[in-house]
Amino acid sequence: MFSEFTSARRAWLRSAGAGAAVYLLTGNAKQLRAQTTQGDIGILSAALWLEHEAIAAYQAGAESKLLSPAVLKAAVAFQSDHKYHRDGISGVLKSLGVEPIEAEKRYDFGRLRNERDILALARDRENGAVLAYGTLASNIKTKAVLNFGANVLVDEVRHRTILDTVLGWPTY
Amino acid sequence: MRKDKATFSRRSVLLAGGTSLAVCAVGTATAKVGEKYPGDLAILNVALGLEHQAIAAYDAGAKSTLLTPAQLKIAVSFQKDHKRHRDALIGFIRHFGGTPVEPKSSYDFGTIASAGDVVKLAQRLEEGAELAYLTNAGNLENRDILNAAVPILEDEVRHNTVFRQLLSMDVVERLQY
Repeated sequence: MFSEFTSARRAWLRSAGAGAAVYLLTGNAKQLRAQTTQGDIGILSAALWLEHEAIAAYQAGAESKLLSPAVLKAAVAFQSDHKYHRDGISGVLKSLGVEPIEAEKRYDFGRLRNERDILALARDRENGAVLAYGTLASNIKTKAVLNFGANVLVDEVRHRTILDTVLGWPTY
Repeated sequence: MRKDKATFSRRSVLLAGGTSLAVCAVGTATAKVGEKYPGDLAILNVALGLEHQAIAAYDAGAKSTLLTPAQLKIAVSFQKDHKRHRDALIGFIRHFGGTPVEPKSSYDFGTIASAGDVVKLAQRLEEGAELAYLTNAGNLENRDILNAAVPILEDEVRHNTVFRQLLSMDVVERLQY
């Protein structure tokens, strides 16, 4: 049974993973367009806004030179996850004929005086993403989009849990 | 000022999503009791089997007296989550006319000779549960069930991540199952 799940997951990663939504962008766009509701487009756009913001937050953290090497490594990896999410969501929106929203020109993350400020900022953004994906996931009508959203949610929860641990906040 | 604007934008996008949420809530409220979701019921019973197994594993860990007080605290907390999941799943299965699977009379968790063995067992089971919920979320047809499954998935990811950290396993890179 476990291997059944594993192979299904691998199949999904093969089909949708590499370019985030390759499956959606290749050949199945027409079918996807027929299935996807306006609601999904709204949810995807909302999610994309949050991904842009998270990418910018990690960028601000990385550029602050306040991060220790280990935290910087995690920040870069987490930002990379958010870029992956961004590209996946943008790809789906484009395949649906919707122009993805751009990142804001600038974000005000307040004063970042030390590593802890940056960790708290990142944690806040990850928490917002968990709440958003967690709340909106079940409203997604298209199965492929829902599968992608669930994978994104898993990343956000992992990020938040790690940041909670580093900040010394409860994880259980 | 800029902060206000950012907050507003954030609120706007969440509100936009929330509108869909409200529409969906109305939609799912019309689902009739007794309406059959055979695919969902099968998934729920597989998930319930995993919850029973996890609860038993934490019992085995707690009874082993191998855990440190800090580890035991985590185990008790996570087991509580799994009991909550179990009860929710049983509620859904009964609601939709299914028969919930019972726990097995015994589970073979292999040799448990150290606290490390318990943590490794728990991590393996949590990762399996994470994968099971993740893989099946998109297959659930009933939206109420999906709504309940999402926070369960979140719990499993958190549990798995906590244990991976305790075991000094990588948590920074996305899991390749």
